[in-house]
Amino acid sequence: MNEIRAGVTDRGQGQAMSTATEGRHKVAMKPGRGAAWSLRVVRKVRWAALMASAASLIAGVGLWQWLTESHVHLVLDFSNIPTPVAVFEAFRAVVVTKTFWRDIYWSMYRILVAFGLAIVVGVSAGIAMGYSAILRLVIAPYVEMLRPIPAIAWVPMAILVWPTTEESIVSITFLGAVFPIALNTWEGVRRVPKELVKAARSLGANRMNVLFHVVVPYAIPSITVGMALGMGGAWFALLAGEMISGRFGIGYFTWESYQLIQYANIIVGMLTIGFLSSVSTGSIYYLKRKLVPWAE
Amino acid sequence: MQKVGNIDIRSLTLGFKNFGSTKAVVEDFSFKFEAGSFTSIIGSSGCGKSTLLNAIGGHYKPLAGHIFLDGCEVKEPNASLGIVFQQHTLFPWKTVTENVRFGPMQRGASKAKANAVAAKYIEMVGLAGYGDYYPKMLSGGMQHRAEIARALANAPAVLLMDEPFGALDAQMRASLQSSLLDIWKETHLTIIFVTHDVEEAMYLSERIVVMSRDRGRICEVFALDEPFPRNKDKLFASEGGRDLKEKCIGCLA
Ligand SMILES: Nc1ncnc2c1ncn2[C@@H]1O[C@H](COP(=O)(O)OP(=O)(O)OP(=O)(O)O)[C@@H](O)[C@H]1O
Ligand SMILES: [Mg+2]
Repeated sequence: MNEIRAGVTDRGQGQAMSTATEGRHKVAMKPGRGAAWSLRVVRKVRWAALMASAASLIAGVGLWQWLTESHVHLVLDFSNIPTPVAVFEAFRAVVVTKTFWRDIYWSMYRILVAFGLAIVVGVSAGIAMGYSAILRLVIAPYVEMLRPIPAIAWVPMAILVWPTTEESIVSITFLGAVFPIALNTWEGVRRVPKELVKAARSLGANRMNVLFHVVVPYAIPSITVGMALGMGGAWFALLAGEMISGRFGIGYFTWESYQLIQYANIIVGMLTIGFLSSVSTGSIYYLKRKLVPWAE
Repeated sequence: MQKVGNIDIRSLTLGFKNFGSTKAVVEDFSFKFEAGSFTSIIGSSGCGKSTLLNAIGGHYKPLAGHIFLDGCEVKEPNASLGIVFQQHTLFPWKTVTENVRFGPMQRGASKAKANAVAAKYIEMVGLAGYGDYYPKMLSGGMQHRAEIARALANAPAVLLMDEPFGALDAQMRASLQSSLLDIWKETHLTIIFVTHDVEEAMYLSERIVVMSRDRGRICEVFALDEPFPRNKDKLFASEGGRDLKEKCIGCLA
């Protein structure tokens, strides 16, 4: 089985690569042929690349269908895996139910609350550490001590200290997001060029205005990097929280499907999680482009 | 009315801590820059011109000695002490207009007024039409001109310029030199102008201070009595001019 799988991917990649290099060769060897011509080549290469990816995906799904249909048991137990067709059917059945959308709503809601809090706390802590030596001495030890603890490790304590599971899940999600944001903000603030601060001071800005007009704007690209990393951390922590102690949410949906032996729904849940998580990270990159048109 | 912009430097010593030991760059420097005067400082690379200028602007704490602006010791940067730095220091996240109006707005001018001031100086440095550009969209020389506009728009009492025209082509340099002289005549601000170019110093300034590489000591101070506006050809062709240029270059060597 592995052989066949390797064969398929190999061929797919091989095709993509040969078209790409051929295209490049043509461009390189005939440089004087005008922009329209090379544009056509670029388009052709892009189209070929797209086709290669699509072919690879289709082959993958086909392989999945075949492996599961024929109940292969080779290292992995494929007989327990639902077929792609079954997953698609399950998706069609689930997408019209209220509970599915309620679960998505709850997960998104928790992400928004926890991530919003993480931005406020993380950015403030990062700026404080970067801008004031005293605050750094006060805050940094906590950051350095708590940061290495994975968000999942907080689950038992969170359940114990918060009155409701809702709050404990949000707090775990918050912990998953806050450290990358704080650290990247700190890094950005620390790297502010002295010359820019000097220029602002010579133009009459006081320390407060230097903070808002120089330090924070300079750190924004770095803050958005922290936010993108934090968003990944938030989803990771949210899923852990929802699976262990949740009552709603897409993580709960996935875990419940396992317990109810609705295996196709597990995969629907997984794919939904992947989609939501990449949409939220993508929206941060979109926000970044809107916020910092001056960078890059 | 008493003139403002008097800089009085008394036995100033400046230096940097390097690996624990302190190395003096400028030692026992004393000089008076009269209010409304135009003084050039020339000296070989690394002799401490930028260090001195930054210190006058309030950015370095002297190891010894004092700097007074109109009788008050300079302890902090301050809007009366405008600086055009040797490095690029435009704020990348602000457009040219936003950069230039930053000073006036920090001092409490309304946005409309600050915009008007900014437009005036942007035009003066030949960047009209580039107001909405971000610094990364400008060439190096254009960025330098925007920086000059930003310093001027703040109407400082003293203008400290660190090789401001070094990166410009001859034509732009000549045009900005004459704009600078116009502004100087109009506003009577004190200008301290660091340059590598002896001819530029001779064309612009009333006095030329030559710094030596030996701990920033003043080698020589030349006074130029030639009235403004000066004619470059005549200045450099005249006996006195040629003589002065030779002396300056002799000092630098
Ligand atoms: N931040 C710093 N830390 C340590 N030493 C420095 C620092 N800045 C400057 N120096 C040293 O001080 C001396 C004078 O530097 P400065 O920049 O004032 O020279 P300069 O006269 O402006 O030269 P140039 O004409 O090349 O700009 C140099 O020897 C330099 O190594
Ligand atoms: Mg210098």
